[in-house]
Amino acid sequence: MRKFSTATAAALVAAALVLTGCTSHGATNSAKTGGTLTLLTSASTVSLDPASSQNLATTTLGLLDRRLTTWDVQPGKDAKVVPDLATDTGRVSDGGKTWTYTLKSGLKFSDGSPVTSADIKYGIERSFSDQLQGGLSYHKTLLVGGDTYTGPFNGQSLASIETPDAKTIVFHLDKPFGDWPWIVSMPAFSPVKESNGSPAAYKKAPITTGPYKVASINDGTSLTLVRNPYWSKATDDVRTASADKVVFLESQNPSTTVQNLINGTGQYADAFGLQYLGAADLASVTHNASAKSRLATSQAGPIQYLALNTQRGALKDLKVRQALEYAVDKQAYLVATGGPQAGTLASTLITPGIAGRQDYDLYPADASGDVAKAKSLFSQAGVDPTSLKLTLLTQNDDASLAQAQAIQQGLKRIGITVTLRPDDQNSFYTDVAASNPTFDLALMSWQPDFPSANSNISPLFDSSQIGNGNFNVSQYKNPAVDAAIAAAQAEVDPAKAQADWAAIDKQIMADAPVVPLIYAKQSFLRGSGVGNFFIPSFPAYPDYMTVTLGK
Amino acid sequence: MRIARLVTSRLVGVVLVLLVVTAITFVIFYLLPSNPAQLSCGKPCTPENLARAKQFLGLDLPWYGQFWEFLRGIVMGRTFGTGADAIVCNAPCFGYSFQLNTPVTELILTRFPVTASIAVGAAALWFVSGVAGGTIAAVWRRKAPDRAIMTVAIAGVSSPAYLVGMLLILLFGFTLGWLPTGGYEPFGDDPVQWFLHLLLPWTALAFISSAVYARLTRSELVEQLGLDYVRTARAKGLGEGAVVMRHGLRNALIPVVTLFGLDLGTLLGGAVISERVFSMQGLGALLLDSIGRLDLQVIVGITLFSAFLIAIANVVVDIVYGLIDPRVRAA
Repeated sequence: MRKFSTATAAALVAAALVLTGCTSHGATNSAKTGGTLTLLTSASTVSLDPASSQNLATTTLGLLDRRLTTWDVQPGKDAKVVPDLATDTGRVSDGGKTWTYTLKSGLKFSDGSPVTSADIKYGIERSFSDQLQGGLSYHKTLLVGGDTYTGPFNGQSLASIETPDAKTIVFHLDKPFGDWPWIVSMPAFSPVKESNGSPAAYKKAPITTGPYKVASINDGTSLTLVRNPYWSKATDDVRTASADKVVFLESQNPSTTVQNLINGTGQYADAFGLQYLGAADLASVTHNASAKSRLATSQAGPIQYLALNTQRGALKDLKVRQALEYAVDKQAYLVATGGPQAGTLASTLITPGIAGRQDYDLYPADASGDVAKAKSLFSQAGVDPTSLKLTLLTQNDDASLAQAQAIQQGLKRIGITVTLRPDDQNSFYTDVAASNPTFDLALMSWQPDFPSANSNISPLFDSSQIGNGNFNVSQYKNPAVDAAIAAAQAEVDPAKAQADWAAIDKQIMADAPVVPLIYAKQSFLRGSGVGNFFIPSFPAYPDYMTVTLGK
Repeated sequence: MRIARLVTSRLVGVVLVLLVVTAITFVIFYLLPSNPAQLSCGKPCTPENLARAKQFLGLDLPWYGQFWEFLRGIVMGRTFGTGADAIVCNAPCFGYSFQLNTPVTELILTRFPVTASIAVGAAALWFVSGVAGGTIAAVWRRKAPDRAIMTVAIAGVSSPAYLVGMLLILLFGFTLGWLPTGGYEPFGDDPVQWFLHLLLPWTALAFISSAVYARLTRSELVEQLGLDYVRTARAKGLGEGAVVMRHGLRNALIPVVTLFGLDLGTLLGGAVISERVFSMQGLGALLLDSIGRLDLQVIVGITLFSAFLIAIANVVVDIVYGLIDPRVRAA
């Protein structure tokens, strides 16, 4: 998953003085192959091991590693799961508990050796090792025996992954899980050769299956990828691999990056930035017509919301929480975030771009709220809002504090006293993920790990996700919702599952554990030589797989 | 013999200082209300995985237990985890970054050349320009050169490093296009590019720090030039150049050298702001990143290394002090 501090997302978004209509999608007819694509990142290192990665399928590791499935993402269309190494997105049996995949023919590693199902099994098994923690781990709680398995380095194998032959792989799950095709698009489902499997060996020289392989690693400075001669476009419907070489320039100062891209000369013509733009940088871009035309902005991104701690004081009362749905001034929050270009007002839990999302608003009101309705609900609850003293947990950067103050002022209109509790980023994520939190309200942001409503809802509202580093920040417990989530997860018919999730969305919002605030927008800048650069409906990041050179 | 005793006693002091610094760093980060194991738990995180991560990272021990394991690792090496899954960190083990899958020693060794390149070049530049400026200002005190140099010095001393860095990038990188706007090129790959990439950070740091050296040199030299032994030297018929350089400056430099040693030692431990502004990944940037991701072992390793450099710089300054000033040796 990608954690977005409300602050960060807000700052960027706030920055987003542009957006709508700036997306520059469209396959470039003049796209060529060859050249060097430069990717500018502020990160000090690009982590290459898929076992410990939280990468989206459409970003960095997708250039190097193929998985059983991957994502087809487009602007204006919901993201779809499509086959990658496998011939299809999975054949289900045993009521959703067994999933079978067959590998395409002619798949090879970058050393020329064939890719087998055993290599995929080994790659998954590595992700269970203590040495390779920190990645997307949905499969670990789903595969039979995954809860006790500790990886392949001590000679143990995970029996719930079967490889009856070199091209077939079968997964046995603890419970039916309809989103398994999305799960096998995650980095841990990339094949890894056993001879290349030790973390130390892989880190220095990974053997890959994607269109590129590693040419050099200059830690902290650059990572250079060159073509993998054994990758075949004939087996890959998603990646276009336009450039001959891809260079990641690491540790880049964000402001310098933006200025270099605005100038767009030399290597920066064929480059784009991997971080979304902050407010100041976005302002610089919008003052430059050429640069502005090279800006790509998401239509919507992570949902930002106010989590209400459903286990504390007056917030245990449904009427009080529903009153807060009306009392919050979303308009002020949006303004504090950067205005209409920074996001759009939110009312649902499922974010735009996720298949099956239904737009609705259980608490219809003006953008600035409905104070009279809020007071009426407080009255029905028998609670005097002027007696309420609530603590709002927020991050301690300026952007987050401005947003928190907007919430504080909004609630003050009905007499609620809100005290801000600013935390640094690390402490914030420890505090919100605690089992017994000591705050009433928290400003949160969330982008799903994979484009399914499941990833929007279960991590935030399933009662099993309370505490222990998880993100049910509202401490929301509703056995009926838990059961509905379990049923929707088990549904293997995508259309039925989507309908289930849309119903759960409304079911949860009826309990008002959170106040959806905005769907944040994110903007990225490219050089003039980069083509087919767009932000799909989901995720709110450029699709690295289809970027071209020679526009 | 006296020098040997001086060095030995100073080195014992260094070890004690390092122990204290390490203990304080452990306590500070142990007391932080955050949980590094959470970052190694994966998404989603189960209570079992969280407990496993804590145990594997050694975070299930109290701070003094972690401290002891750290110290033991320096002398005897260390093993994280058990069986085939274990990570072996050979002595001297200064910790292991689980997030970067790299021993801390290796991280420091790969990042140190970047920081050293910045620090040594900048220090040489600021020392030479600062002392030269201070000397000129002292010799021509209250005249135009003095006023000009001191004005620049005040500007330098009052300028934040990031601002000077950004302005230099704007002027020489973006406007004139003469120099790279950032990044580091290893000396071994291309010495010319190495030099070109470092010119701006050197200049930025030198502009800021040479101001202090110029002011210090000026005030010390002005004082020295007014003392009796200088008057005696002049009375003996020595030329003004020899009086200033051989007598006045030599004595004026004693506090300047002390300051230089400490500054260089500090900068070698990480030029945090310059590295960030100029897109370089030295020890300073690595330290900031590590704090951001709660990579405690890297934080402790770099802190220890930086403290070591400062302590060693102190020892060297003490020794050099003795060489410059015979009265110190006699004492």
